[in-house]
Amino acid sequence: MANRGGAAQRPNSQTQGKICQFKLVLLGESAVGKSSLVLRFVKGQFHEYQESTIGAAFLTQTVCLEDTTVKFEIWDTAGQERYHSLAPMYYRGAQAAIIVYDITNMDSFGRAKVWVKELQRQASPNIVIALAGNKADLANSRAVECDEAQAYADENGLLFMETSAKTAKNVNEIFLAIAKKLPKNEQVSGAGSANQGRRLVESDSSAKTAGNCCK
Amino acid sequence: MAKSSFSKVDEYGFERGDDFNYEAYEEFMSEYLPVLARRSRKWARLMINPNSLKRGPLVKRYMRKGVPAEHRAEVWLWASGATQLREKMGPNLYRELLNETHDNEVVSSIRVDLPRTFPDNIFFNQSDQCEQRNQLFRVLCAYAHHNKRVGYCQGLNYIAGLLLLVTKSEENSFWLLKILVEQILPDYYGPTMEGVVVDIDVLGELVRLKAPAIHRQVSDLGLPWPVVTTKWFICLFAEVLPVETVLRIWDCLFYEGSKIIFRVCLTLIKNQTNSLLTCEDFGSLASAFKSLSNDSSTLHCHLFMKNIFQVPGPLPTSTIIRLREKISQERHKS
Ligand SMILES: Nc1nc2c(ncn2[C@@H]2O[C@H](COP(=O)(O)OP(=O)(O)OP(=O)(O)O)[C@@H](O)[C@H]2O)c(=O)[nH]1
Ligand SMILES: [Mg+2]
Repeated sequence: MANRGGAAQRPNSQTQGKICQFKLVLLGESAVGKSSLVLRFVKGQFHEYQESTIGAAFLTQTVCLEDTTVKFEIWDTAGQERYHSLAPMYYRGAQAAIIVYDITNMDSFGRAKVWVKELQRQASPNIVIALAGNKADLANSRAVECDEAQAYADENGLLFMETSAKTAKNVNEIFLAIAKKLPKNEQVSGAGSANQGRRLVESDSSAKTAGNCCK
Repeated sequence: MAKSSFSKVDEYGFERGDDFNYEAYEEFMSEYLPVLARRSRKWARLMINPNSLKRGPLVKRYMRKGVPAEHRAEVWLWASGATQLREKMGPNLYRELLNETHDNEVVSSIRVDLPRTFPDNIFFNQSDQCEQRNQLFRVLCAYAHHNKRVGYCQGLNYIAGLLLLVTKSEENSFWLLKILVEQILPDYYGPTMEGVVVDIDVLGELVRLKAPAIHRQVSDLGLPWPVVTTKWFICLFAEVLPVETVLRIWDCLFYEGSKIIFRVCLTLIKNQTNSLLTCEDFGSLASAFKSLSNDSSTLHCHLFMKNIFQVPGPLPTSTIIRLREKISQERHKS
């Protein structure tokens, strides 16, 4: 695959800017809301009863920054512990990860920390990691303090936001913050060979219909 | 059944989404209804005396052509050996398991998944206390307690759910689930899902042998096989293919064993050779794999089932066994 170490110019692009493509993986315990965050981000929807993910689901979505269009290839993984052995396949070569926990569930925060450690050890060295404390709309039953998570994120150099897939709070924002932090130009060395700032091939329709761009 | 082709809910209770293609479905049903009627007549004759069912070429052909809904539960129990197993292990096992004290952690992980199982099915989405949901809960708890090594693995909820929709009996669903997990499939649902991991590699190897161009394409674009096929194996195509097609696959799965899964995978892949080979990057290939299961060929279940025995070519059980052994040895070496 052509890898020019950065984004390609697309002359007719609305923004007249660069287009970058990045692989992003969502990790975290089962039922914390990974699929719901993706569904909100990609389709602007929320399902009260979101089906549990088996294996992983693949979606794409584009966000526009000032002079760059960032296209995310999103891998939404299964949360149950025994699917763990499959996870490296999804985070290998990923340039970004969102590790999700449920603010009403302390265990899920513990599990998120384990994911952070694993990524720091095993994933691409320059991976951008964001921590999402999801279900922020359920603050009444909060079990994880925002300050505590923020402090942990600061210590580990993670982006951090409390999100709600239900109310849409901070959902676009967290993806946007990741997009901003991702290196758009320089060559980045990663575990995956062919997927650093890849040239965008305009054959995928799923992102175009989503229309979540440039909010 | 004829009526349901116009309704917003199918005969198994699944709501048809806004994007459901009624026209294509009607076209399919106009061909399929006569087939169903014919199969129903043939099976009715066979089932006059169910005790006379014997394994052999005739019944094998009948299974491949589809078991009518009215006989499905009974035939699955017979074909899979579940009936015998139940007699051997004691007919009260299921009831006894329900009365035992179940592990809290397992129970709560099952509970979390209940409203997340077939939220688009009217039998499962009516309320917190709907009967099917309670039945699903009991079947999964009983099985997790019975087989502590497997416990509860996500994916079993869909399988048990579909078994319930077909058999309408939690006890029969329990026995069919047990047979699937412990005898028909090799360790798919254990703590490391070893069996699934191995079978995915077996599939990769079969694609290399039988569709080398696709295999090259997939490796060139760097798409790991598990990424696109894990759900096929774990859910046995439930939540992947149209429900009638899934049940037709299961007709053969219960009679012929896990080899059928590879036939289905290979057919899905080979049917879409062109669209897979024209992909130019990882993302479009992943999307192309995702849409394999939405292709209209999967709706036409009768033809699809005929194809699974032709499109992949010969697939001897010995090949599968050999590949499974080879791959698991390699895994344990590395
Ligand atoms: N109140 C509230 N509920 C949410 C939120 N996000 C998700 N949920 C609910 O939590 C449940 C689980 O959400 P999923 O998105 O399926 O969780 P997941 O992390 O993808 O789970 P797995 O696929 O099993 O790993 C669903 O019933 C959602 O409706 C949120 O922000 N607020
Ligand atoms: Mg999910």
